[in-house]
Amino acid sequence: MTATTEPPPPAKAPGESRLRRTFSALGAAQAYIGLVLILAVGIATKGEVFLNETNLTNAVGAFASRGILAVGVTLVILTGGIDLSVGSLLGIASMTAAMMLSKYSLEPWQIVPICMVVGGLFGFLNGAGTAWLRIQSFVMTLAMLSVVRGLDRQVSDNVSVGTQIAGPDGKLTPQAEAFQLFGTPGHNLFDRIYYPVLAFVVVCVVFHLILTKTRFGRHVYAVGGNPTAARLSGVNVTAITIAVFTLSGMLAGFAGPIDAAYSASADPQAGQSYELDAIAAAVIGGASLAGGKGTIAGTFVGALILTLLDNVLGLNAVSDNWQLVIKGLIVVVAVVLQRPDLFKFFRGGSRS
Amino acid sequence: MTVLTMRAIGKSFPGVRALDGVSLTVAEGEVVALLGENGAGKSTLMNILAGVFKHYEGEIEIGGRVAHIHSPKDARRHGIAMIHQELNLVPELSIADNIFLGRERAILDRKAMEARTAELLRGLGLDLSPRRLIKQCKIAERQLIEVAKALSQNVRVLVMDEPTSALADAEVRRLYTVIRDLTGHGVAVIYISHRLEELEEIADRVVVLRDGAYIGERSEVDRDELIQMMAGRPLGELFPRADGGGSGEELLKVEGLSVPGEPGSGRTPLREISLSVRAGEIVGVAGLMGAGRSELLESIFGLHRPTAGSMSLGGRPYRPRRPKGAIRRGVALVAEDRKAQSLVLGNTIAFNASLPSLGRFLRFGTVDARREHRAVERQVNELRVKTPGTRFTVGNLSGGNQQKVVLAKWLLTSPSLILMDEPTRGIDVGAKAEIHALMSSLAAGGKGVLVASSELPELLAMCDRILVLCEGRITAEFSREQRPTQEAILEAAMARQKVTTL
Repeated sequence: MTATTEPPPPAKAPGESRLRRTFSALGAAQAYIGLVLILAVGIATKGEVFLNETNLTNAVGAFASRGILAVGVTLVILTGGIDLSVGSLLGIASMTAAMMLSKYSLEPWQIVPICMVVGGLFGFLNGAGTAWLRIQSFVMTLAMLSVVRGLDRQVSDNVSVGTQIAGPDGKLTPQAEAFQLFGTPGHNLFDRIYYPVLAFVVVCVVFHLILTKTRFGRHVYAVGGNPTAARLSGVNVTAITIAVFTLSGMLAGFAGPIDAAYSASADPQAGQSYELDAIAAAVIGGASLAGGKGTIAGTFVGALILTLLDNVLGLNAVSDNWQLVIKGLIVVVAVVLQRPDLFKFFRGGSRS
Repeated sequence: MTVLTMRAIGKSFPGVRALDGVSLTVAEGEVVALLGENGAGKSTLMNILAGVFKHYEGEIEIGGRVAHIHSPKDARRHGIAMIHQELNLVPELSIADNIFLGRERAILDRKAMEARTAELLRGLGLDLSPRRLIKQCKIAERQLIEVAKALSQNVRVLVMDEPTSALADAEVRRLYTVIRDLTGHGVAVIYISHRLEELEEIADRVVVLRDGAYIGERSEVDRDELIQMMAGRPLGELFPRADGGGSGEELLKVEGLSVPGEPGSGRTPLREISLSVRAGEIVGVAGLMGAGRSELLESIFGLHRPTAGSMSLGGRPYRPRRPKGAIRRGVALVAEDRKAQSLVLGNTIAFNASLPSLGRFLRFGTVDARREHRAVERQVNELRVKTPGTRFTVGNLSGGNQQKVVLAKWLLTSPSLILMDEPTRGIDVGAKAEIHALMSSLAAGGKGVLVASSELPELLAMCDRILVLCEGRITAEFSREQRPTQEAILEAAMARQKVTTL
């Protein structure tokens, strides 16, 4: 509508509007509906086994590191980019954590910042390549995925590094004991709070606030929505781009120790294909790969859906192979539900 | 001989009756202009003709026989071609590829395609290689390429929706020559335009629509009467600016500014530009397509690096390296293409309007949403943007209202110098008058305004001084007292220009 502006043709006849409105509402709330559906299936099929604190905590704990990756990926997607390297970054961060623990006996509170610096550094390179060298982020982060995975395998000699290190007395060293709090099942903060769940929720809250309440958040949406308009409005598009990739890398670094503690070791293959779960969570939550559209709340719900899906299917002894198939289908359904206009196909309506 | 009859056409969108019982007949070789404010139903009527909508009421006859037009393909079969306002060209393909898009042979005959394209382009006076990519062409060139595309098919009725909105006066002339040539061959042309002065020249008949209904038609163009028919009320003076103004202090001074062009992008290099803008002054920049009008404004806004020359703003040296620096010094740019350059269409009015001035609304590092919405609301009301609220999505506003949001966005930065690139392009007469009034009041409030426009009457009416650009140089400067004519400005705009002959 550059010039004469008739109202943009919403391409629907009055008779169809109620159906359409229903689907529009679904589009906005589809993630929540999906969540409720999965909970219902879980309760219906497994009842108490599904709906108890231990099971749910474990389920979220198993997915927490991917959920944290999803938050970082959401930031990048909001600017219109994509980050395929987060799985590899998580891998090298978990390896870093395990090595810091086993070789240098560092305290857990020292390990986390180191991992975040490592992840942030690679993330910064992603951003620099994208913003300065103008490499498409898909390509840049695909390359990073490969490079970092290679480095991870090289430094570890292709051998996984355990985090349950025994001292001379045969018991776990104090550092290793403390490290378990990062997510080894059965180890809770204050005997109550499972750290991965807490970390995931805190990360979501913090980044939700950053995106909705700060100038930086506004600029992220502006860069994704229309980079030219953003630049002409005084937004430093280059800096925002580099920042979101760096933050995504730092979050991957932050998730590394959690993954290492959960598996009680850092595997050279750790985090492989996590990027796909992270992207799926963002997309199910309503983020658009075109940029400018999406929320952390959506990603949070998207991650929960994937988490509980894994759990419910696992409890019902659905094989891994079928789990993958179902996960893929759910992504497609979620995206279709966000696009009510697609339903015109089924009604044979006009496309304009 | 009547070629097209549209009878009692009606169309509803949810909540809106866009068209109601509108009839239109067009004869062979006739140019019929459709006139009406935004939302009058012109585009809807033409979209029905072009097969954009599957469902509508009424009947269409072509050459005396009922034609069922329910898809673009139907329309094409009946010899109807439409050049949409939003150009439909693929940027990464060449001109020839675009012209034949969808009609190519299975195995491309490039030589024939390029030869035919070259012929069409020549006919339009465009000196471009058929192999040039669309993305390397300027907006005005693309518009003419759309015309070429329409012509490459067997057209009986050609619909042009605002074909001149991106063209400078000389290109408009060229387009008229083409239209006359077409009508001479019996093609009927339906022409939508907001520029009344054009209709006088090109249209045989003017049909006025208002609120989706047929209001009347005239074969003589009487400006005042037509405006009254469109608006339903007398609009008064179209350009409200009174004499005077511009006696303030020098605000912007540009000396010997040279900015290199960019090969491939079609960016015009600027050569030794010197100019000044005083507080309270409206200075116009005239010039043909490719004269460097946008480049000049963009360079002052810090988008391009100059290789020579200097600028000062408010008496202090001014060297913006990016828009951010320019904004900080109180400079605003209302860019040429509001959809591509100014707005995040999928986001809200408040989001867009506060983007460059977010710093004002920060409290403890976070955006104070309440203060932000209040400020935006005040500005938006002041500019009389028609919207349900500040949380309304900008993309759903009409062109005129979108442009007002862009203006609101820049006014919120409290600029001292406002650069405007085609501020009234493609918006209806009412909104246009409001924007002109705004420019006057900005100048009266002591701000400097530098405005580039391809509409000479607009510049002549609004500006205290007019600079004429040609090939990146200033070739003339006229003050209001000199009472320059359009001819004098055009002459300067074409000084030393290699004229592409038809």
